[in-house]
Amino acid sequence: MRIRVVGLGARLVILLTFAVFFVAPVLWLLLAPTKSDKALITNSPFSFGDFHHVALAWKHLDAFSSHIFRRWIGNTLFYALSATAITLVAGVPAGYGLAIGRFPGRRLVLSMTLVVMIVPAAALVLPIFLELNAVHLIGSSLSVILPFSFFPFGVYLAYLYYATALPPSLLDAARVDGCGELQTFLRVALPLAKPIVALVFFFSFVADWNNFFLPYVVLADSNQYPITVGLWDLLSATPSFNPSVGGGGQSVNIFKPELALATLIAVVPVAIVFLFSQRALVRGLVGGAVKE
Amino acid sequence: MASVTFEGVTKSYGEGPPAVDGLDLGIVDGEFMVLVGPSGCGKTTALRMVAGLEDITDGVVRIGDRVVNDLTPKRRDIAMVFQSYALYPHLSVRDNIAFPLKIAKVPKDQIRTRVDDAARILDLEPYLKRKPRSLSGGQRQRVAMGRAIVRQPAVFLMDEPLSNLDAKLRVQMRADIKKIQSNLGVTAIYVTHDQVEAMTMGDRVAVMRKGELQQVAPPQELYDRPVNLFVAGFIGSPAMNMLEARVERHAGGVAAVLGDARLDLDDHAWLAPYEGRTVVLGIRPEDLEDAAIAGRDDGARLRGQVELREALGSEVLVHFTIAARQAVTEDMRELAEDVGDDRIVGQLAGGEQPASATLVGRFSPRTRVVEGDTVEVAVDQQALHFFDPETGLAIRGA
Repeated sequence: MRIRVVGLGARLVILLTFAVFFVAPVLWLLLAPTKSDKALITNSPFSFGDFHHVALAWKHLDAFSSHIFRRWIGNTLFYALSATAITLVAGVPAGYGLAIGRFPGRRLVLSMTLVVMIVPAAALVLPIFLELNAVHLIGSSLSVILPFSFFPFGVYLAYLYYATALPPSLLDAARVDGCGELQTFLRVALPLAKPIVALVFFFSFVADWNNFFLPYVVLADSNQYPITVGLWDLLSATPSFNPSVGGGGQSVNIFKPELALATLIAVVPVAIVFLFSQRALVRGLVGGAVKE
Repeated sequence: MASVTFEGVTKSYGEGPPAVDGLDLGIVDGEFMVLVGPSGCGKTTALRMVAGLEDITDGVVRIGDRVVNDLTPKRRDIAMVFQSYALYPHLSVRDNIAFPLKIAKVPKDQIRTRVDDAARILDLEPYLKRKPRSLSGGQRQRVAMGRAIVRQPAVFLMDEPLSNLDAKLRVQMRADIKKIQSNLGVTAIYVTHDQVEAMTMGDRVAVMRKGELQQVAPPQELYDRPVNLFVAGFIGSPAMNMLEARVERHAGGVAAVLGDARLDLDDHAWLAPYEGRTVVLGIRPEDLEDAAIAGRDDGARLRGQVELREALGSEVLVHFTIAARQAVTEDMRELAEDVGDDRIVGQLAGGEQPASATLVGRFSPRTRVVEGDTVEVAVDQQALHFFDPETGLAIRGA
């Protein structure tokens, strides 16, 4: 009995310690925009200021370089959605082909997909830059969208699903029922892969949204920045992080609360996408198709 | 509606023996043909070649007069019921049944009436709005049937459609499928490993083994006149008793000697060429009867020790041993492996044969024998089967 109580207590302490460790920064971030820059330092880190400060922070943020913050969010949505759309249109059928098709070079393509999957994206930025330069795309939105439309993880997810979870007899049934190969994919294989499409959408979208290094390298005009590069731009405009600004009579009202608000707003779309994809992810669609 | 013809059809996968080897088989228009055999005999491969789901390595498959070797499944005018049912899980029952019609761009009102008709035939009307996952096994099976009949195809293909159902439902569906097929008059090819299904459903039954066709015949003929040991052993339950017997001359006729027993055979003069040789003697269980209650007496008797009595009500299965040798051939080994009879497999692998064999007799329920008794068994000598142990082929009179 005593040992059980002690064990329970120890477990509680460990869990609480970790919870506090991870939740504290998030909580701080959530509360930061409610305080003034000064109060952020002087008041208790977890005190709540008031909503007036949130409005003020937004006003400052929005005023920065004549509404450029809105533009950055718009840019990011455009880049991420375009790249994700191309990923879905190309990646899911590719995974299907690799799983169902029997063609020479199939194994090679599969292992290449795996290899590229584990190469860190940053390692490819330089060769991609040179390539984009060669085709004169540097500085255009395509220079962000195209490299990120290539999403081998999505291909691999689709491949795994079709190779393991989709009963081959369903495809046979579709063929016997009069479908050609394209119709078999569109009418049977694709609708059944909804959870995988959602999963690929989610991972691709998040990867694109959080993409910093590539756009940082290929885009020069701050009007084209996605939010990640924009946040970096904001940081360098804050006197608290970059003492060289804000001194020479410039009226840049970007301080820590504004930065915190910008960060929060930048996370919102990812959170929304997660909420929507998650419902599709957990749905087991194949139940009842074939009796095992 | 159409005939289906296999002409020298072969299917090989890379190295190794072909899955189907030079299959010649004609299925006439409106016939219910059952392909039966142990697992791996090539029956499903043969069916899938008709469906167009499997390439044909060699030979020709015709549906009607058309050679269909290079046609896609879509253009063969066939419908297929899969072992797993293969219902589309994202579609309702109605949409599942309507699927082939939608693909064929049949007008909407026609689709509606044809799906309703199929649902009525199959008692699926209350379930049309449901998804497959909320249906029972039997209902799913009927949806799969519905999807097949709604097309009014030239040929029905069925790949072990009942094997996932429980025994009672299977008997029911067996009758239903047969009835639907004969009402529609559609040619059907039905694959099963269950010889009872084969016997009860088929107009004719094709027995396959290791990719080769063994015999095609109406069920009763298959049962009464199997062409070889394999067919004889595969068809019938309990299986035919197989014994080694030596053929001897006897008073102007022949006799079969089984260990210390001797069956005098009248009307078997055609066995004379085998005089002095050992053959395989096959006796169906129902051709054995307790001599104490057997009506006729033509002198053919065996004496054995009762090991087990299984009373089934309408009959009694009596397992008894006699002092003779069980016939062992490659065919029997394969059959024993197929039914998972380790006892026989082990015995066959063991090399030296015990000099006693266990037979199963289907006795009248009036029999009084119990375990441990010595029983005198009357043999219907008109119903005996003889096989050449070398070739496995049946030995028959004219």
